[in-house]
Amino acid sequence: MPNVLRADGITVKFGGVTAVNNVSLSLGSGEILGLIGPNGAGKTTLFNALTGFAPMHSGRITLLDRDITALPAFKRTRLGFGRTFQTERPFEELTVLENVLIAAFLTVVRRSEAEHLAMSVLEQVGLADRAHQPALDLNLARRRRLELAKALAVKPKVIFLDEIMAGLNPPALREMITFVRSLSAQGLAVLMVEHIMEAIIELSDHVIVLASGEKIAEGTPQQVTSNERVIEAYLGTD
Amino acid sequence: MTKHLIGLGVLLAVGMTYPAIFPNNLTIAISVLLFAGWATSWDLLGGWNGQVSLGHASFVGLGAYFVAIGQSQFGLAPWWTMAMAAAFAAILAYFWGWLTFSLRGPYFSLSTIAVAEILRLVAINEEWLSGGATGVFIATLPEPFGIDLFSRTAQFYMALAFAAVVIATVIVISRARFGYQLRAVREDEDSAMAAGIDPTATKLKAFMLSAALTSIGGGIYGVVLAFIEPHVIFALLLSVQIALTAIIGGRGTIWGPAVGALVLIGAGEMFRTTFAEANMLIYGILILVVVLFVPRGIVGELARRHIRRLYAKRAQG
Repeated sequence: MPNVLRADGITVKFGGVTAVNNVSLSLGSGEILGLIGPNGAGKTTLFNALTGFAPMHSGRITLLDRDITALPAFKRTRLGFGRTFQTERPFEELTVLENVLIAAFLTVVRRSEAEHLAMSVLEQVGLADRAHQPALDLNLARRRRLELAKALAVKPKVIFLDEIMAGLNPPALREMITFVRSLSAQGLAVLMVEHIMEAIIELSDHVIVLASGEKIAEGTPQQVTSNERVIEAYLGTD
Repeated sequence: MTKHLIGLGVLLAVGMTYPAIFPNNLTIAISVLLFAGWATSWDLLGGWNGQVSLGHASFVGLGAYFVAIGQSQFGLAPWWTMAMAAAFAAILAYFWGWLTFSLRGPYFSLSTIAVAEILRLVAINEEWLSGGATGVFIATLPEPFGIDLFSRTAQFYMALAFAAVVIATVIVISRARFGYQLRAVREDEDSAMAAGIDPTATKLKAFMLSAALTSIGGGIYGVVLAFIEPHVIFALLLSVQIALTAIIGGRGTIWGPAVGALVLIGAGEMFRTTFAEANMLIYGILILVVVLFVPRGIVGELARRHIRRLYAKRAQG
């Protein structure tokens, strides 16, 4: 499978602390890569480095064989990155539709076309009936879907999902899992950070386990969940 | 959109007939219109884009000086010098923004105070250009189509046209892609970047447009004053007044700054004649009341209540 996203030797340092140390990964279209690890393992930092929101100490990132290492976050978005934030960040003063409209304006200039695109994305995530509501008034599950809609409206090739399952009740979790699978079925490359193992095991083609900024294991969900180093990292040793 | 265009129509209709009905109250009306235009221009950057400038007197002053110096030293008509002032203001805004917008937090606001101060010092010290501390005097003006630009009526119509053009610009932008980019950057820069928006470029465009529009109003102000003094035109007080007009009227709303101008400048003038020295006290109390009880500004608060009511109605029905 050809690589959509490739990252080699990503290292992120904050002062003297190495938050992510020499992590590499690659991702093809329609593939789902799960990123797991205990709290403080560097998952979100790695995410931010890949998407351009955290400065990298060293490493190289390519998107469809194009080197994007030096590009700022907004340029990576323009080339095909979509991302959600762990703490949802809707533009609270605006309506749900306007929130998505901002992202839709990346690929279309005319307002009517942008509204059309935004509405179709809202339908996809099941928020169409809330389109004219202020974003401020959405509950957690709907805010997550709004985050997803914003990430999808930029028409990404790779989508970065940062703990979009956290805190969802079981039916909402099922819906989200089905939805993420449908994204990969459409050919999107999905990179997700997640604590909910149920979602990781069910969705991921490939899993990378981080602990203290290092990649300690990778493979299929079954391989990593039976790996001793992973169990150790999660549960500790006697 | 339609209701804003109707509002603009009402403004123009009232404006066209105003000089015939109140021929003795033109000076105050000119002030209100100029402030409406300046505050609306300020709001493009300060309200819609969230970058508070406390130096917009710089652009008012640039416009006024361009017109005055152009006329008195080079015999250039005000419309040419206003266009030049707008271009110069945009260039100044570009360089100033380029230096300061990469900083987050209040640094931009603080630095804008310095711009007006630098321009004031230049105007005072470069006597060959600006007439120094004594200022510049406009003795003659061209008479396009036989119109006397020294007449208050002609000046009133210029101020009306200025306010209307600025408000129309904001109406168009508020619905367009650029308007949403402005708001996205104001609300959350990281989230804006995730939507592919370049925050610095967006702020620069807003600052340049805001500065250019403000300087055109400054040119009209120059014609109205006919005598420009550096410590008046580049005063921090003027910058603060422009910002307050927009804030009290309602930041990031189309009509807020214009309403703010009507309330602050209109009321300010009334207080001045009624309360004489106590007028600054009343002015201060008015500002305090708005900041404490209507932090979104007059129009901002009304708009919010309107949306809430609509939403409540829909939820019931």
